[in-house]
Amino acid sequence: MSVAHKQVLPIRPDRTPPDARALGDFWKIYDAHYDEITAEATAALADDPEFAVILRAVPREQLEDGQRKSRELMRRAVVDGDLEPYVADLRVQGAAYARMGLSFTGWFRAVGAFRALLTPRLLESYGAKPERLLATVEAMTGFLDRAMAVIGEEYLATKEKLIHQQQDALRELSTPVLQVRDKMLLLPIVGVVDSHRAQQLTEHLLRAISDNRARVVVLDITGVPAVDSRVANHIVQTVEAARLMGARAIVTGLSAEVAQTLVTLGVELGKLNTVGDLQGGLEEADRLLSDRMAFTTHPNGELKLAE
Amino acid sequence: MSVPVLKQGDCLIASVQSVLTDADLLQFREDLTQQVGRFRSRGVVIDVSALDVLDSFASRTLRGIAHTVRLRGAQTVVVGIQPEVAFAMVQLGLRLEGVDTAIDLEEGLALLNRRLNGSRSHGH
Repeated sequence: MSVAHKQVLPIRPDRTPPDARALGDFWKIYDAHYDEITAEATAALADDPEFAVILRAVPREQLEDGQRKSRELMRRAVVDGDLEPYVADLRVQGAAYARMGLSFTGWFRAVGAFRALLTPRLLESYGAKPERLLATVEAMTGFLDRAMAVIGEEYLATKEKLIHQQQDALRELSTPVLQVRDKMLLLPIVGVVDSHRAQQLTEHLLRAISDNRARVVVLDITGVPAVDSRVANHIVQTVEAARLMGARAIVTGLSAEVAQTLVTLGVELGKLNTVGDLQGGLEEADRLLSDRMAFTTHPNGELKLAE
Repeated sequence: MSVPVLKQGDCLIASVQSVLTDADLLQFREDLTQQVGRFRSRGVVIDVSALDVLDSFASRTLRGIAHTVRLRGAQTVVVGIQPEVAFAMVQLGLRLEGVDTAIDLEEGLALLNRRLNGSRSHGH
């Protein structure tokens, strides 16, 4: 989870006597009217398009069970000052509703409905003593605000986690390593390649070479709109690393723009085995696989066999 | 820690089991060069799959071994460089120029066989 969690929050109602008393007053009224407030709030939310879906999806017993549990945890938080279980429960709820797709405004509507139901009852009980009423309303508001903050934080954390998961999934999807035939791999690269993705591509490819015992790899970059010098260098390094592992790499599909950019940037591509298109690349790969002398050609430092 | 060298037909198989010190590496080069002559070997496979690091001295020595052994009439294939090791080497600029590589021992022996038979059929 994010660091933010550890820092802020614990709903820590100031336990100085007046505040504690005001919170206690709030709890007294809420507890006394619990059943009607819960029933009215549930009815109000049943009309809300977002909550209606959730209320329908959750079985009645489970809902009541959850409400009972929340009530007990809230009692412990307000009356006994035992906040941890309540905060933990809020976090679980925040995460669950975020995953269910409930909007954050939805939460505000729910809490707003609750507040609207409770305020008249507070007025009813403490109307005669404005100061006590004010303190109680403030205590309630403070309590709910802090609860919302916990939920909101967890909500955002969950959403962020979802986004990260999706990004990872997308990256996985966008860099498949395909086995074309025995000992031949094809890596079609589509879309923008940044350094992070280039790094990932390399790891993927080298791992796949090792797993499939590949001898030839075709990197097709037809689908890459632009290549900068860092990415180009990365490709060169990948090709060299593949060679160290005993696999030959062929790069295909350098578009006219990419080729011109690379030459303009002065990237040294002399060591790359490049072929115009994927078809040509696969043919070349076939040739390398079938040609038994193919692996003897190393341009640098080749010494003649002394016999 | 010395490197065991096994004779297999007209090839030698050296399996590096653990990280070698610089002195070990030089000893290894010495031993291998001697044995190529003694067994009249025509190919050498050096298996480094157990290593999770190959520093610059080690890769320079490997290259040196390959070139030395070549002068003694045998070809060298380095096999089993792990993916992480390969990428780390490239980033350090260690490229083992002029040295054949293969994914594992089996491929390395197959490559040597292809090359040895190939050079014979080419009538050297």
